[in-house]
Amino acid sequence: MQAFSPERVNSLRWRLLAAICAVVLLIWLLTGWFSYTKAQHEAEELMDGSLAQTARLLLAITHDNEDDLAEIVARLETVRGAEDNIYEPPLEFQIGLGDGSVVARSPDAPELPILGVADYNDIIRHDQAWRVLNAVSDDGRYRVQVAQAIGLRDRAALEVAVQTVLPLVLIVPVLILFIYLSIKRALRPLDLLAREVSTRSPDNLAALPGKRIPTEARPLVNAINRLFQRVDRTLDNERRFTADAAHELRTPLAALKVQTQVARLGGDSPVREHALQQIEAGVDRASRLVEQLLRLARLDPLSSPPSNLPVDLGRLVGETIASARAAQPQATQEIRQVVPETPCIVRGDADLLQIALRNLIDNALRYSPPDCRICIEIRQDAGAFVLDVRDDGPGVAPAILARLGERFFRGQPGSSEGNGLGLAIVARIAELHGARLLLENRQDGGFSVSLNGLHPAG
Amino acid sequence: MRILLAEDDALLGDGIRAGLMLAAYAVDWVRDGQMALHALADHSYDACILDLGLPGKDGLTVLAELRRRGDRTPVLILTARDTREDKIAGLDHGADDYLTKPFDLGELQARMRALLRRAGGNAQPLLEHRGVSLDPASKRVSFNGQEVPLSGREYALLQALLSPPGHIRSRSQLEESLYSWGDETGSNTVEVYIHHLRKKFGADFIKTVRGLGYQLSDEA
Repeated sequence: MQAFSPERVNSLRWRLLAAICAVVLLIWLLTGWFSYTKAQHEAEELMDGSLAQTARLLLAITHDNEDDLAEIVARLETVRGAEDNIYEPPLEFQIGLGDGSVVARSPDAPELPILGVADYNDIIRHDQAWRVLNAVSDDGRYRVQVAQAIGLRDRAALEVAVQTVLPLVLIVPVLILFIYLSIKRALRPLDLLAREVSTRSPDNLAALPGKRIPTEARPLVNAINRLFQRVDRTLDNERRFTADAAHELRTPLAALKVQTQVARLGGDSPVREHALQQIEAGVDRASRLVEQLLRLARLDPLSSPPSNLPVDLGRLVGETIASARAAQPQATQEIRQVVPETPCIVRGDADLLQIALRNLIDNALRYSPPDCRICIEIRQDAGAFVLDVRDDGPGVAPAILARLGERFFRGQPGSSEGNGLGLAIVARIAELHGARLLLENRQDGGFSVSLNGLHPAG
Repeated sequence: MRILLAEDDALLGDGIRAGLMLAAYAVDWVRDGQMALHALADHSYDACILDLGLPGKDGLTVLAELRRRGDRTPVLILTARDTREDKIAGLDHGADDYLTKPFDLGELQARMRALLRRAGGNAQPLLEHRGVSLDPASKRVSFNGQEVPLSGREYALLQALLSPPGHIRSRSQLEESLYSWGDETGSNTVEVYIHHLRKKFGADFIKTVRGLGYQLSDEA
């Protein structure tokens, strides 16, 4: 038996059981000891009482039968009890006159003077202890001394005390068994809970049932349920990401494959020519996707921008607008820039900042309505620069807004240009520069994307 | 045979449409889930190719809604998701078949043929009636063992009449199987192609059922 194995020491059941049993045993021992001594004491008082009564009886008999003392002594011989009966020990006595001379005595009575004070005395005579009581008759003519062997008295007292304590002793195992069963029963909901959790399959993240859970365990169960919820959300995000990534990576390949097969089947017809054009567009798109993936892969392990030099934001905006316009000549939106008079110099990597801004302008041109006005503004806020790209279009639905910036998520799927990585790249570049990417529908209509908290140089 | 293609990706959708048109199907192409449901409610299609990653309403929702309103159009699901759970979910929502991207155009065509065959209550790969035999896989038609060259529309019309043979097809039904949106439909186009088919397989091969439409005749 490993009574003190760590498992048991940490077990609520065993600790409760040990503590309760210890207290019960302690109280029980105190009660037992108290009852035992009390019973012993009472037994001795009773025997003292009977000793006094006997002494008075002897005095009375002696007084009334002065002439026949020898006969009475002989008579007393026959009624003075047996050695082995502890409740009725043999009576030893001496009867004498007022001057202390002994006139009669029982055969085994201790040879003691009978002149002592009329009281109880414990006396040892010839290696035997006696309880002795001296008494004098009212007129002082006679004296009586009665004695009981203390050994016999003690045996009687012990017997009484043991009989009193015995039921207590028998109750202890029953009591402990009862305590054990009560604790076991009280802790049963915890066992059921443990079984419920341990037999679950890993994808079962439903909340644990709240029924029959003890109040003390409820905070734990609630915490577990909250954890389940969080894990479930994380798994959901993971699944969504995998699904989005699979869609974005496989769809271009599927398109290329199908268009290639159409071209092969199409003979010399215009169908073939069209398919070949589509293949070219598909390869361009796949290249863009690979480009963006590589860019993200290069950005991911960084902890700071590759270069950290002063960058003129105003100039960057002008250049980037020009290159974005050149790449999308068909876009009809008007682009306006709002740049302060004073130069806006931030610290960071010019190439990365340009990529971020270009992605934002491309998105604005691609996804805002054709007659929209796009405004690119640089402003200062709490000592840092804000780069804001906004339009006056219809804004973005809240459900889509919440997911914009997730990798491979596309607010407007289907167009062959996007791949759901642009904003993720911008967010990463912002992070590297200690800035934040903020996406919001503006109060006065339109959609705004901004890089907040770009650090000024110097 | 008229097919609805619901695919949001411009390049892929264009390719699938071209591939199906090469196989003489009439194809209508929609690019979001809501449009797919409208199209399926407004027209009768022989089959539907449904991408799961549709904007607006995703493919599974479209499928569930379609089946809820009792539409039994055969549906083939296209998706980039390839886990077992995804496949099971697709089939359980009422899809008839499943293809994972990227896929082979030939396989897509073969699966469409199988789907249409099963929907026509015919497990035989060949459609046959009175010596006329149509093989949907090779697109070849023979008459008493002799191969007969047919134009795409003649072929589509014959296939509609043959699946299954004996059913009466109304003129508008036959028109639907010939055209997709945007094609020009003359008022007597069906009559013109019926005439062509009668010339090739005998005047009594196709019967006119007055007031109802056309039917392949049973008597030899």
